[in-house]
Amino acid sequence: MKDDTEEKGGLTRRGFLKSTGGAAAVAGMTVGGLAVGTGEAAAATGPMPKKWNETYDVVVIGSGFAGLAAAIEAKNAGASAVVIEKMAVHGGNSIINGGDFCAPGTKLQKEAGVQDSPDLMYNDMMKAGLYLNHPELARTVADQAKDALEWCENYIGAKFTRLNFHGGHSVKRANQTANASGSEVVNKMLGKARALGIEVQTRTKMVRFIANKDGRIVGIEVRTGYKFPDEKSGKTAYIKARKAVILTSGGFSEDLKLRQIEDPRLTDKFGTTNQPGATGEALLAACMAGAMDVQMDWIQLGPWTSPDEKGFGHVPLFCERLVGYGPMIDPVKGKRFFKETGNRKERADAIILLGHPVIIMGDSYSVPKQVFPRALEKGLESGAVKKFDTLEALAKNYNIPLSALQQEIARWNSFVEKKKDDDFDCMIFKDARPTAAPPFYAARLWPKVHHTMGGLVIDKNAQVFGLDFKPLKGLYAAGEVTGGVHGAVRLGGVAMADCLVFGRIAGKNAAKEKSWG
Amino acid sequence: MTYKRGSAVIPAGKLLALGFTLAVLLIFSITVFAAPKRVATAKPGNCAACHGQEKVFSPSHVDTKEMAYKDCLGCHEKTGPQKLQGKLPGSHLHRLRDINCEKCHGKAKKAGEVKMKQCLTCHDADKLAEKTAKVKPENPHTSPHYGTSLDCNLCHHQHQKSENYCNQCHKYDFTVP
Repeated sequence: MKDDTEEKGGLTRRGFLKSTGGAAAVAGMTVGGLAVGTGEAAAATGPMPKKWNETYDVVVIGSGFAGLAAAIEAKNAGASAVVIEKMAVHGGNSIINGGDFCAPGTKLQKEAGVQDSPDLMYNDMMKAGLYLNHPELARTVADQAKDALEWCENYIGAKFTRLNFHGGHSVKRANQTANASGSEVVNKMLGKARALGIEVQTRTKMVRFIANKDGRIVGIEVRTGYKFPDEKSGKTAYIKARKAVILTSGGFSEDLKLRQIEDPRLTDKFGTTNQPGATGEALLAACMAGAMDVQMDWIQLGPWTSPDEKGFGHVPLFCERLVGYGPMIDPVKGKRFFKETGNRKERADAIILLGHPVIIMGDSYSVPKQVFPRALEKGLESGAVKKFDTLEALAKNYNIPLSALQQEIARWNSFVEKKKDDDFDCMIFKDARPTAAPPFYAARLWPKVHHTMGGLVIDKNAQVFGLDFKPLKGLYAAGEVTGGVHGAVRLGGVAMADCLVFGRIAGKNAAKEKSWG
Repeated sequence: MTYKRGSAVIPAGKLLALGFTLAVLLIFSITVFAAPKRVATAKPGNCAACHGQEKVFSPSHVDTKEMAYKDCLGCHEKTGPQKLQGKLPGSHLHRLRDINCEKCHGKAKKAGEVKMKQCLTCHDADKLAEKTAKVKPENPHTSPHYGTSLDCNLCHHQHQKSENYCNQCHKYDFTVP
C-alpha cells in the first residue's frame, strides 16, 4: 500500500483529509470545517423549513438492497417509513447486481459439502481488505450474513439455488439467486414493502440534510418530480424524519468528478458496471451535515469486465464461473500472468499493468458446466464471448503466438491434473478438468470501475459518526455509501451481505430512536 | 480590435456579423418553428394545422392532408425499413389510429401527465412482452431487472422523441415508437 505522508506545512495529506472529512474537505471545506469548529451543524445544513410537506418516523434515501431492508425492518419495528429514490426506477445498482450473496454455513454449502464458518469469512474479508477493514464492521457482516440470507429466503421469499465461488474467498460461499440477479431480492423486498404500506417515491432527490440547533438530523430537503440528471427539474419539498434518516444511496463509481478526486487515475477512460445514478452527492451532503468519511480512495475495478460490451454485460458471469477451471492468458505472450482466483484488486491491477486486454478461456467441459446458460448465449450473441473449434483458431483470432499458447495450455493442464498450480498458486477446483475438449470458448477482459469501498463512518449499529467522533444523531447509513466494512477490497458476493445485514440493523435501530418532535 | 481563438484571428466586424446572423436565426426559429400547437380537432394528416409553416417532411413527400393511417401504410409497411414506428412521435401514431387527446388525457381542460395505468388500459404489459419476445438482442418489454413493471413513458414519449432507456447500461439497437 502506498503511503502519502509527505509533510505540507505540518499537515499530512491523509491527516488533513481525516480531520476535515475527506471529500467534504474538497467539496465544502469551509462549511464542514466551520460546523465542527463551532458546533453549529445547523449552519452547515441550512435553515429549518417553515413547513414540512410530509412526516414519517423514518425516512430512507435509496431503494436498493440496504434501503428496502432498512425500511421493512423499521416498519416491522413499529415505525412509519418512506423510501425516496432519485431515479425513475427503483433498485439502483442492486437490481442490476449478479445475485450472489456470500454467507457462511448455508443450506447450499451443506448440500455441496463445503465447510465454512463466520470466522473463515471474516478472515477472508480482512485479508483481501489488507486489514484496513474496521474489524467490528467486517465481523458484523460475517456473523450475521447467514441470518440475513435466511431472512431473504424465509421472510422476503427470494430463492437461492446455486453455490458459486468468487476470487479471494477460501471456499464456495456465494449463494446465487434463482435468476442470477439481485432483482430477485430487490423486487420481492419491494413487494413486501408495499404490502406493509411503505411508499417508494421515485424521482425524488435528496438535496440536503436538515439539522436542528443541536446538530441532530431532523429531516431532508428533496426535489420531487426530479428527472435525472437535470438538476433544475422537480419541485422543492421537505420531509420530516421524527426518528431518523437512513442513508442508503449507494456508491459513487459513476461520479467522475468525485472518483477522480479520490483516485486521479480513474478518468473517463474507464467505463463502469454501475447504473448512471451511482453518484456521490448524497454522501457529500452527509459530510456537509457533519458526517465523517473514510477510505474514500479505495475504489474497486472489476477485473472480469469486457471491452467488447457496455457496462457490466455478460462476460463477468462467464469469467467468474471459469476461474479455477480455465486459464487467463496474456495474448501478447501466450502465457498466463496471474492467479485466476486472486481477488479483484490483484487481478485488475495485474491487467492494468500489462496495459492491454487479456483472455479468459474454457472448453466444452468447463463452460457448459459452469456458465449460466443465458449468460453464455447472450455473450455469444453479442460477440463478447467467442467459440472456437480449435486452439489454433482461438490463437489466430486474438493474435496469440500459437506454440507459446499450446505449451502454456499443456502446462496449465498438468497443474489441473495434480490440482496444484506451481506458477501462480491458482485455486483449482476438485471437479476441474484439463482445458482440452473443443470447442473452446474465450472472452477479452479489461477492468471497469465497480465499487467504492469508502464512505461514511458507521459503528456496528449503523449509526453514522460525526467529525467529532460522536454519533451524528438522527442519521444512520448502510450499504455502499458507508466505508470500512471491506477495507481495501470488497470480495465478490459480500456487497449483498453487507447491504442486507447493515440495512436491517439500520432499520431496527432507527425505529428505536426517540422522536424529536 | 481582434479576438484570437487558437491561431486564427477573427476581425471584430466579422464576429459581430456572425453574432447577428445567429441571433436572427434563433429568433426566426422561435417564432416560426415554435412548439406545435396540438390542435385537438386537427386531422392527423394535416401537419400544417399544428406545425404551421414548419417543413416537417422532405420536399418529395406526398401531401398527407387527407390521408388516414391505412394510406400511410401504402408506403410505410409496418415491418419494412420505411415503417413509421420510430419516425413519428407516439402521439402522431395514436392520432393516426383515431386515439384522440381525450382518450389518454381525459376531459380535463388542461391536459395533464398521463400515468402508466392509462397506457395499460389498451396495452397489456404481459401481452406486449409476449409480442416482442423475439426482438433481438433482448425483449424490450421485460427484463431480469424489472420484469414488465417499467413505466412505458421511460421510453415511449408521446410529445417528444422517444428514447431507449435500456441503453443507459446496455447497447441495444431498438426502434422505439
